[in-house]
Amino acid sequence: MFERADDVVERVIQHLRRPVAIDPGLDARVLREIAQAPPTNRRGWPLWSALAAAAVLGAILIARPWSRDETNRSDLLQFVFVAPRAASVSLVGDFNDWDPARSPMQTAQGVWATAVRLAPGRYRYAFLVNGVDWRADPGAPSARDDEFGTPSSVVTVGGRGS
Amino acid sequence: MILAALVMVVQVAAQDPRLERLDPGTRSAVSAVVDSARGDGLPVEPLIQRALEGATKGAPGARIVAAVRRLTVDLGAARLALGTNASAAELEAGVAALRAGATPEILAHLRDLRRPPLTMALSVLADLVASGVPADSAAAAVLALAPHARDADLVEFRRAVERDIALGAPPGAATSIRVNAGAENVFSGTGTNPGTVPRPRRP
Repeated sequence: MFERADDVVERVIQHLRRPVAIDPGLDARVLREIAQAPPTNRRGWPLWSALAAAAVLGAILIARPWSRDETNRSDLLQFVFVAPRAASVSLVGDFNDWDPARSPMQTAQGVWATAVRLAPGRYRYAFLVNGVDWRADPGAPSARDDEFGTPSSVVTVGGRGS
Repeated sequence: MILAALVMVVQVAAQDPRLERLDPGTRSAVSAVVDSARGDGLPVEPLIQRALEGATKGAPGARIVAAVRRLTVDLGAARLALGTNASAAELEAGVAALRAGATPEILAHLRDLRRPPLTMALSVLADLVASGVPADSAAAAVLALAPHARDADLVEFRRAVERDIALGAPPGAATSIRVNAGAENVFSGTGTNPGTVPRPRRP
């Protein structure tokens, strides 16, 4: 047989509300113990504290976490292309000098993928399938200004809150 | 004669080695454009990447040179609109926005509305147009969100519009509806929390 949870909680509350008797001499004993405790050596503390604070302040000033340099940050982007019958797929774009050898993609059952770290900016890119077939990324905005007769896509890495 | 040869050797030595993937004639022309852009204080990395893109895609040399020249001109226009303090990334995104149909005045207005970097805002504008949103609607949407939206909010806004378009919504209507919803979320502080974005993320 079980008590209802509300009843148990109520009984616990009532128990906790009962006043606890404290020895009237407790305060005096505690203060006496504190007075008898051996003094610690704090002579060097002000100097060390000041030096530590200065070091922390200096590190913060050098790192300047509140003004992160946007040009130094980068995002890791994953590029995925589905081509079940392809023998090879390479990611080529503004971030790897349009060199097919630089970012070969790995496949798992026809899903080709690779990850590239990119600094903030706007990049054009495309997938090169089997070394001859240029494909745009169907999951990304297309580059309208294609001047070379093959499709390209665009990825933008932003600077704030992206 | 010797001096000219010496100058040529120095120039070749100063060329970016990555441009060796271009044929000699194209390389020389692209290098001249790159040097000129560098002299004007424009970022040259986008120019080199455009040339390398053309080389990898097997484009004719004339087309590569034309693309690099056009990009140089557009980078200059973007700098004129965004100011000399604009970063290389902002200028490149500015070029995309200009090519999408945004006017230099819109870019300048965005610069006044939003704290830098403007890269994401400019890119979202260009990407919306690429999705079929009329340029003026895309610009109005980005300008409306720009003062308060974080980059992550702008990306989420773009994705929402793209989803609506994919489901059959007219691009202009999808944008105006989403910009109102987006503005409410942003202003009430319920936008996407960057801390919840899994890493690595997809483009």
